[in-house]
Order: sequence, then structure tokens, then C-alpha cells
Amino acid sequence: MSQLNQAMVLGERALREAKRTPDALLPTILIPVFFLVVNVGQAAKIFPSGSTEFLQGQNYAAFQLPSSLLLAASFGASALFLVEDIEGGYFDKLRAAPVSRTSLAMGRLISEAVKNLGITAVMIVLALPFGIRIASGPLGFILLLLMCAGWAVVYSGFLQVIALKTRSAAATNSAGLLFFPLIFLTPNFVPRNLLSPAMEVAATLNPVTYVMEGLRSLILEVLNWVVIGRGFAVVAISGLIVIAFTVRTMRTYD
Amino acid sequence: MTDAVAVPAVQAQGLTKTFSSRSGDVEAVRGVDLQVSAGEIFGFLGPNGAGKSTTVRMLTTLSTITSGRASVAGVDVTDEPDEARRRIGVALQEAGLDPRQTGRELLVLQARLFGNSRTQAAARAEELLQLVELEDSADRLIKGYSGGMKRRLDLASALVHEPEVLFLDEPTTGLDPASRLVVWDEVRRINSLGTTVFLTTQYLEEADALCGRLAIIDGGRIVLEGTPQALKDELRTRRALDHEPTLDEVFLDITGRTRERGAGEVQELQA
Repeated sequence: MSQLNQAMVLGERALREAKRTPDALLPTILIPVFFLVVNVGQAAKIFPSGSTEFLQGQNYAAFQLPSSLLLAASFGASALFLVEDIEGGYFDKLRAAPVSRTSLAMGRLISEAVKNLGITAVMIVLALPFGIRIASGPLGFILLLLMCAGWAVVYSGFLQVIALKTRSAAATNSAGLLFFPLIFLTPNFVPRNLLSPAMEVAATLNPVTYVMEGLRSLILEVLNWVVIGRGFAVVAISGLIVIAFTVRTMRTYD
Repeated sequence: MTDAVAVPAVQAQGLTKTFSSRSGDVEAVRGVDLQVSAGEIFGFLGPNGAGKSTTVRMLTTLSTITSGRASVAGVDVTDEPDEARRRIGVALQEAGLDPRQTGRELLVLQARLFGNSRTQAAARAEELLQLVELEDSADRLIKGYSGGMKRRLDLASALVHEPEVLFLDEPTTGLDPASRLVVWDEVRRINSLGTTVFLTTQYLEEADALCGRLAIIDGGRIVLEGTPQALKDELRTRRALDHEPTLDEVFLDITGRTRERGAGEVQELQA
């Protein structure tokens, strides 16, 4: 059986697991939607669509949606399921089979990507009543889904490394919260050029900024390949690094 | 032909495992030599913390070997781990099952990971479900299974690829007496089909009932090895007993000598 087939079989199993635990899936949608509602409620009046140039004719919810999409993609629940597998002994059962360690790592990441495609689509549908439209059209919508799914793989991979290293649900859960400082060091509320100088430097150094700007570009404007390309490049590079670390951690797991 | 028969099912030479921790290195296994012939039910006994599970984890590729060598069915577990994994079945101390899958899904997945097509995997799962008498519960989630059912399913999942050597790490711990007997029967049946069984247990009567030969490990070292009868006879002669000793007495005698060496280990044994 090829490594890809093994990863797909394991991915199928992880998707079944997600389907059977809707209570783990619901917060992934509800909490980011909550943040969208609250952030828009607090700041929308400051940035009226008619007079705020960076909204490009849309409302503030369209500007905020990428933050919520990224948050939804950064829950990484599959890492917590991995801890359960480790604690319950099933992970050892899988390791005792002639399964490539790359497939073991990729199975859950594939499921995370597929799951996130659905979550992002649902969130965009939920955002429609806020008056949001995807200015980049159907192709932009697909790219939006793919970029979010890619980020879900990146963050979930990072959490898998933590899960494998610590074998602790508490530590893995805490590591998930690291996303909050990362997202607050992005041009979360206003574009980068309107941030204070120190914040602008921090946001420029933060890779999440480029993913957020890529997503925002797909929502607010016609296809801007430079910004979109930067977003995908960050996802691809950080994805490769994280997958390499995850596979290495799987291989050295004792 | 003669060579094939001569290949030991399990072989270990100078097997050691050292864990590093902040308080220093801990030697869990200190130079274990083992040889198990094909077709045997071999018992591996020892008190808690003696190194049983660590040894099994090394033999089953789940843990790295600090030094020494080990092979299963003639395949070196360090040099060719995937080949070794194809030849062994593993049921560890806690039934390693995914509670969110059904029994059938778990077996199909396991069979597919061993290279079976979807159709072959489904057929093999059906066969194994019948074998361990779980057909009626096959499509229920595992989280609803009883301890005995989980243990039988775990055994079945270790057998999907018809392994040459089956490692069972304390397979009856936590089971009621009736379930324990069911597992014993299953182990005997598996062995009668030609599978070598490497069994760790803390229950001496279990070793006595099932194993043709056994080794006792204590403090990370093998302290006694032989057939249950030979070990009993040796104790009877050495202590000039007027009755046939049980395996419990053999165990306590040998680990009792260890007790004199390290008081800490006695606590575990008495518990």
C-alpha cells in the first residue's frame, strides 16, 4: 500500500471521528462567528463603508471575516484526538503496523484540511447576512477555501508536534491558545499602513499577516495575485516546515 | 527446510533500554537475552516495573533499543522495522482501540493498513468478527463494548494479517474470571494454528495454564527461565519441600531474593 493510500485510509478514519463528535466541531464555527459579531459590533461604526477607503465598498464585516476564518482554521482539534489515541493505546496499535510515519502524520492533516473546507464554506454562508460578498468571484472563493484549509494543516501540524512531544491534552490545548497573540499581531482591525510603527513592524514579521492579507484580498478586491501569492507562499513554506517536524517527531517517538 | 525451522520466533541479545530523565538515567532493561522457538507459548513474568512491557515494546518496534539486538521471525527489529511489523501482531496492556469506530471499521482499517484492498479487508474483518464472536456487536461503537469484548476485538485486530508471532502484554488484566477463560481459550486456539505467542502476565496461574516455557524478569534482568514444571521441580528439590510448589511460590522465591537486594521493589510485589 502506498504512503498516499495509507494516509487517505487514516484520513478517512479521522473524518469519521470528527463526524461522530459534533460537540468538538461546533465551537470551531461558533467561537469565530462570535468574534466576528463582537468585533463588527464594536468597530463597524468607526469604519463606515462609504467613507473608509480600505473597505473597498464593502462593510467592516468583510474586513473582519479573515480573522474569523483563520481562527476557525486554528482550532486543531485533531491534535487533541491524537492525544486521546496516545493515552488510549490506539496510537501504538497504528505504530505497530507497517505504516509509514509520514502517512501517520498526514492522515490527520488531510482530514483537517477536508474538515476546514467545509467549516470555511459554512462560515462564509453564515457571514452572508452581514452583507459580505466575495469580490474575487468563484475562483476567489475556491482560493479562499484552499488558503484556509492550508492554514488549518499548518496549525494542526504544529499542534500535533506538541501533542506528540508532551502527550498531554492540557499542554496541547494551551499551545492552541498561542494563536491569539499571533492574530493580534496582524493588521486585524485596520490595514498594516494604519498601525502604529511598532505594531507595523511586528505585523510585518508575523507570517500570519500575509495569510490574513491574502484572504482579505480575496474578499475585498478582484484577484490580486501578488497578495494572494504571498499568502499561499507563507502557507506552503510553513506547511512544509511543520510537516517535516511532525514526521520527524513521529519517527523519533519512543 | 531445516534452516527455516531453526529460525527462532523471538531472539534478543543483550537487550537494554535506558530512559533519560531530569533526575538521571534509568535503566529499565539491563541486558536481556531471550530465545523463543516458533510455535511456543512463551510466558514473560515479572513484578510491576520489572521491565516486561519495556522489553515487549522494544521487540515490537514501538520503542528504540539502547543497546543489544532483537529479531522476530528472523527479522531484525531495528534494521527492518516494517518487515518485522508485518510478521508480528501486538495486543498491548490496555486494549488499544479507537472508541469512536465500530468493531468492524476498526478491523477493516487495520486490514487495509496491512495492504489489503477494501474488499479483502471487509472479508477479513467479517472472518475475524466471527472468530472472536463479535458479529452481533460488529456495527456498534467500541465505546459501548464491555472489557471482555474490547479485549477480544483487540486480539482480532492483532490477527488481521495472520502474524507469525503474537505479542500479548497482560491480555487478561482487569477482566472477570469468565472473560479471562475466554481469552485463554482464544490464545490456545491461535497457538494451535501455528502462531507463536509471547505473553506477559502478572497472573501466575495464567502462565501455568498457558505457557510451555517462561522467563521471569526482575529489575530489568532475566532471573529465571524454563518450563513451569522444571522451575517447580527445581524449587522443590532446592528447598526440600514436601509438596509440589506452585508457580506463585517459584515467583516469590526468585523475586524474594531480589527483595533482599532492593526494598523498593518489594512494595510493588506485595501490592
